[in-house]
Amino acid sequence: MIAPKKISITINGQVCEGEQGQTILEIARANNIYIPTLCYMKGLTPWGGCRLCIVEVEGNPKVVPSCATPAVDGTKITTHNDRLVALRKATLELLFSERNHICPICPYNKGDCGLQHQGLAHGITGIRYPYLYPALPVDVTGRYFGIDHNRCILCTRCIRTCDEIEGVHTLDVSSRGIKNQIVVDMNTTFGASDTCTQCGACVVSCPTGALFDKAAAFRGQWTSSVQILTTCTECPVGCGLKVHTKENRIVNVWGDPDSPVNTGHLCVKGRYQTWAEPRDRITTPLIKGQPATWDEALAAIKKAAKVKKAEKALLVAPRVTNETAAAIAGVAGKFGQTAMFVGANEAALCAEPSFTGDALRKLQDADAIIVLGAQPTRDNGVVASRIRVAVRKRGAKLLIFHARKSELDRHADVAANVVSLESKLWNKVKAALAGAQRPAIVYGPNAMTPIGVTVMERLIAIFEANTGGSEPLLIGLPVSANALAMSRAGIPAVEEVGPWLDAKPLKFLHIVVGDALDGGAGLLEEKYVPALLERIDCLVVQASYKSALTDKASVVLPATIWCEKTGTVTNLEGRELPLRPVVTVAGEARDDKAILESVYA
Amino acid sequence: MSTNGKVKVATMWLSGCSGCHMSLLDIDERILELVKHVDILFSPIVDIKVKDMPYVDVGIVEGCVNNTDQEHELKMLRERCKVLIALGDCAVTGNVPSLRNQFALKDCLSRAYEQTESTKIACIPNDPVVPKLLPKAHPLQEIVKVDLHIPGCPPDADCIWFALTELLAGRIPQLNEKNMRYD
Repeated sequence: MIAPKKISITINGQVCEGEQGQTILEIARANNIYIPTLCYMKGLTPWGGCRLCIVEVEGNPKVVPSCATPAVDGTKITTHNDRLVALRKATLELLFSERNHICPICPYNKGDCGLQHQGLAHGITGIRYPYLYPALPVDVTGRYFGIDHNRCILCTRCIRTCDEIEGVHTLDVSSRGIKNQIVVDMNTTFGASDTCTQCGACVVSCPTGALFDKAAAFRGQWTSSVQILTTCTECPVGCGLKVHTKENRIVNVWGDPDSPVNTGHLCVKGRYQTWAEPRDRITTPLIKGQPATWDEALAAIKKAAKVKKAEKALLVAPRVTNETAAAIAGVAGKFGQTAMFVGANEAALCAEPSFTGDALRKLQDADAIIVLGAQPTRDNGVVASRIRVAVRKRGAKLLIFHARKSELDRHADVAANVVSLESKLWNKVKAALAGAQRPAIVYGPNAMTPIGVTVMERLIAIFEANTGGSEPLLIGLPVSANALAMSRAGIPAVEEVGPWLDAKPLKFLHIVVGDALDGGAGLLEEKYVPALLERIDCLVVQASYKSALTDKASVVLPATIWCEKTGTVTNLEGRELPLRPVVTVAGEARDDKAILESVYA
Repeated sequence: MSTNGKVKVATMWLSGCSGCHMSLLDIDERILELVKHVDILFSPIVDIKVKDMPYVDVGIVEGCVNNTDQEHELKMLRERCKVLIALGDCAVTGNVPSLRNQFALKDCLSRAYEQTESTKIACIPNDPVVPKLLPKAHPLQEIVKVDLHIPGCPPDADCIWFALTELLAGRIPQLNEKNMRYD
């Protein structure tokens, strides 16, 4: 790659170095020269719509938007003078007059509103234009966020984020001139949208209170919140979280922009599902459904555990921390059997755990992506967004082999829901992969089925015969959050809990559900499992949330949740990612590791 | 200037919640300093009828213009003061009272007097004594010339103090992100 040519421009009399192709704004920011902006957002295509970043270029009678104007070597730029400030003020006044910007009742009431900040910074007290007071709708049909068009300044940051980061392009602008309005799909609502993934990135990008998180609304300014970085434990991607708290309560969860994994982006699971949903928390130990002290609960368990080792089993959710995994491996000797319960076909994927370094960045740069037996749209939203962006923005080829249709199919060159051996299909596959320089295969649990293995073999054969192409990057993508590291710690995986339970003469079963959002209720959906659990003399369930499973337990031990934990998890790239306590532990809940050690060590 | 050398002030409460007047009182003990320099001749806290509104140097108005009486009162103050200050978001932008501007007046009245969950006798007041609502709520500047806007809901006491002391010193107050707010 040829290094870009160095250029030099003068901004306000200061000589600034930059590179050919950089905009005036980029060079100014790199040199700590402030230019006000509203529609500009780092990482998005410049829009040049708000006109706050206007500057004068010597020799040009017009003002130019610095965010969208490439710097030309040797030019002289002025960012502030009476004319520019007067124009910016007029622009802001027009923005204020155009819609109903009633700050006192904004759901965010956020002192960090971009429009508010610019208005105050420009000393705008009243405006010289008549307020239009347009009648505009508010859409609160979305599950986690809403849009209030009264506060929208049409900066299109949400649209560009939706298109360029999440890659779904749910949002766009409708109508013309003063009737311009942000629309969801073909003018529907968030609630009715069939493309919105509810990732909430648009809300983070909104500089005003037009897009707002329902759970965060009216909880005060986020600029005055305490922000703590931790890691999402809902899937093996391990996205960095920036959790906003106030008075020991979570008021919002954003992506950590400095995380090398997700670079600030999140999916609906990490952004909302862990905290913006009502759940019944278990805060004290329970014996037969009645609250008890820890001493009573531990005594009851120790008494019931006085049975033969072969009659005791430990079953673990594949989402505990590495430290808890080590503790499980440490106490496994006290049980006849220990296992973690994983999804269908996931055991083979975890049996020989393989980690792919820097997988997410490489995936976004891939020029051909094969998704085999995985459902990133459902299970790993950030992976899905990276795939969509690679396909839609960088022209990567996408080939999907999965029995179930998914939203990704519409972006695919080849989407094989029924894999046949027809040469027609495989000729298409060959054509799509011809000459691929940076191919990647994302394989999930269903790649481990016989047909998945056959497809993988065929693909590898195609790559081997692909002259001029490169070997594919293989990215294993389990569904379970920390199954790879837990497998590496020596905990075997079991896919079907029913037969596993049935094969044992069990009297005592300890299930570590941890902070699984369903409280372990998913286990009961499996055939025969509820009946098998009835047979057990003592069922200990260690969980954070109430569920049909905890209702069945002889003893329930309250476990801490993601935002209360300390420890590490290992993501699919092999990164050891830290969990940091964001809020204090609820009630008498204890860490999974501490509980296991206090019972069995 | 009055004969005692003090600046004569009138304050007026139109369609607002009185929060801006509260914020004015929030200047606390500084009010003792203020009254050394000003005489408050007309105000919600001074019992003088509108028809007897005195001529003053500074008129300070909270709230927006919602009905015919308020329009009359504001125009009268404008004629009788030298400097008119719009105090707070309602006076500056219309703020919460202007939310009704998105709807037709008859729909607003119907909602308020005929359709609320607690309505027992549906009747829109029509006694000639009751001032007529204007079709829209108006910020002051749509009715009269305003010399100074102080936004905020309410403006901080410090912001009001700063603006008043600057005016007393004969300067135009320069408000910016350091001393004013919109919310």
